[in-house]
Amino acid sequence: MAVVNVNHLTYHYPHQPEPVLNDLSVTFPAGKFSLLTGISGGGKSTLLKLIAGLLPNSDNHGTIAFDGQPWTSIPVSQRAQTVAMLFQEPSLQFTMDTVENECRFVLENLQVAPDAMPDRITTALSFIGITNLRHRNLMTLSGGEQQKVALAIIVAMNSDVILLDEPFASIDPAARQILLNKLVALCTDHGKTIVLADHDLSGYAHWVDHLAVLEAGQVTLLTPAETQARFAKFVPEKLAIHPMIPSNDAATVLQGTQLGLTQGDRVLLEPQGLPLYEHKTTLITGPNGSGKSTLFRALVRLGKYQGVLTYQGTNIQKIRQRRYARQVSLMFQTAAAQFLNVTVAEELALSLKYGRSTDFSAERLDGLLTRLGLNGRQDQVLYSLSSGQQKKLQLLCMLIMAPPVLLLDEPFKGLDLASVTTVVALLREVQAEFNLTLILVSHQLSGLDELVDYHLKLDDQHLQYVGVSHES
Amino acid sequence: MNPSLKLAWVVLLALELSFTQVWTVNLVLIVISLILMLACHVPLKRLLWLTGVPLFFASALVWSLTLQGSASHHFLIVIFTRMFVYVYLGGLFTQTTDPLILTRSLEQNAHLPSKFAYGFLAAFNLMPKIQAEVASIKAAALMRGQVLHVWSPQLYFKAILTAMHWSDQLSLAMTSHGFVEGAPRTQAEVIPLRRRDWWLTAGSLIIIQVGLFTGLP
Repeated sequence: MAVVNVNHLTYHYPHQPEPVLNDLSVTFPAGKFSLLTGISGGGKSTLLKLIAGLLPNSDNHGTIAFDGQPWTSIPVSQRAQTVAMLFQEPSLQFTMDTVENECRFVLENLQVAPDAMPDRITTALSFIGITNLRHRNLMTLSGGEQQKVALAIIVAMNSDVILLDEPFASIDPAARQILLNKLVALCTDHGKTIVLADHDLSGYAHWVDHLAVLEAGQVTLLTPAETQARFAKFVPEKLAIHPMIPSNDAATVLQGTQLGLTQGDRVLLEPQGLPLYEHKTTLITGPNGSGKSTLFRALVRLGKYQGVLTYQGTNIQKIRQRRYARQVSLMFQTAAAQFLNVTVAEELALSLKYGRSTDFSAERLDGLLTRLGLNGRQDQVLYSLSSGQQKKLQLLCMLIMAPPVLLLDEPFKGLDLASVTTVVALLREVQAEFNLTLILVSHQLSGLDELVDYHLKLDDQHLQYVGVSHES
Repeated sequence: MNPSLKLAWVVLLALELSFTQVWTVNLVLIVISLILMLACHVPLKRLLWLTGVPLFFASALVWSLTLQGSASHHFLIVIFTRMFVYVYLGGLFTQTTDPLILTRSLEQNAHLPSKFAYGFLAAFNLMPKIQAEVASIKAAALMRGQVLHVWSPQLYFKAILTAMHWSDQLSLAMTSHGFVEGAPRTQAEVIPLRRRDWWLTAGSLIIIQVGLFTGLP
């Protein structure tokens, strides 16, 4: 058991005007499950990395102690057994090829005797319920399985404090539930101190006594009553309007026949027919890890699929890649994946060079930049923009391109409501101007009622249009 | 055979053969490598690749040297067989050595810093992810009307940027998994460095020296 004490912690990223953590003090009680929440980009990851000792804090102020012992005074060889961290991106936390080899690597680091290793690995894997994955290659596992392996490794390490940074961001609800149950068991039966950062508060109400809220660089610990009230308020947003079910004679632009999707040996989508309608906006929703992004990657020929996909009646595999990419484009979920240059101006110039309208005036561009709050940043390096600014610039670049079909993967991620309104208005303008087909995946649903025509729901490995039937 | 010794053997031999011109030794090495690869069940398809690619380049090289007219027949045969020796020795090494065993051997037998050894291994295991990322960058460029080729600097700029981000993430994960640079570690698997390995290495090298320096053609 270990209690985590953070005292007057201030952390300043270089080249940023404001400290991300400002004189922050908080205590995470021993043997308890603490949930840390706050807006994205608010410093949750930074705080966890500092507690885990993964971020040097030499120029900044404050102390972090485990059971009263400051982090710096814990011998280097003991640190991993004091605190361990599970990361958001499942695939980037392993060194070795197979599950067993990774476990061995970790135990070697802890200087466990070789003959004690097999038993310890077996115990850890069976605690999480993944003994069947022991000899599997890590890179072929799904995100959910990888997170289970990562947790099993922490169990094998027997660390006192377990930190988890948005561990469920890309995994399916079933895997999430299993992981949550195991975490609770680690707390209650094994006395581990758990701190989990998540902005999605659903499903925690039974387990968490005190919600820790990170706001403006400081953490506030809510009382049990306040915590429950906060959970109760957090119900997934509903779409304000009731979209129509597409009528049978509506024109399709993309058509899937016996379209199926898998990830490793997990089925994401059972083979089915899938029409996507021309000049309309279709919203796709579904749980994390259910296959929405995989569907998008298949539609732009970046991922494998079963069955046949046609664009305007032609099999997409028979269209020249160069031509097809300009017809059906994807706005990637991570803005950085879209960028090809260094500065904002260069990135915009590339879009203007190949974009849909040949006479895109400088005034119009200035106007758009002003509306998005990006004016005056033309000379800035793309990667020094905030995540919200990157997202807006990414959208602008794709809207200048204005491909006939534009797929948008979480285009509103990390945007405040005012920005969402502006972005939605822009999307509608460009859609009207060029008669675009928009297909979007979004968790953020408020403010979309004006935009969305059809709603496609991915659930239980099946995609289905939902809404009100047509009455002719 | 011990992987570190095998690596040293291959590198030494390749270096030496670059400075000597005895085609009979080349030929013997080609035959032995081929037999060893067949004995280790290297897939036939891979063997064909290992033969076809050097065949093309060696033929092209010999052809252009012939056109130039100044090279002797002996030199042409040496050049032709040398190309195969390189590829076959490389093939023999990569096809019969497991990267993890090599890493463990480099750490235990060659006393390479473990950070280097495991960092390399982690990057090696990320290969499929890197390939997917490159495909993704190319697609992102195509959607903007730009075609990126294997030789486009932009492709590398983006790939390196991503790799830097990943390597940060990987090193955090290694630290979190208890890896400390230079700290003592136990070994789940001990890679033996037997007397037999030394005899085999030294013996085969001596025989090759005899072949190279006793006036064989």
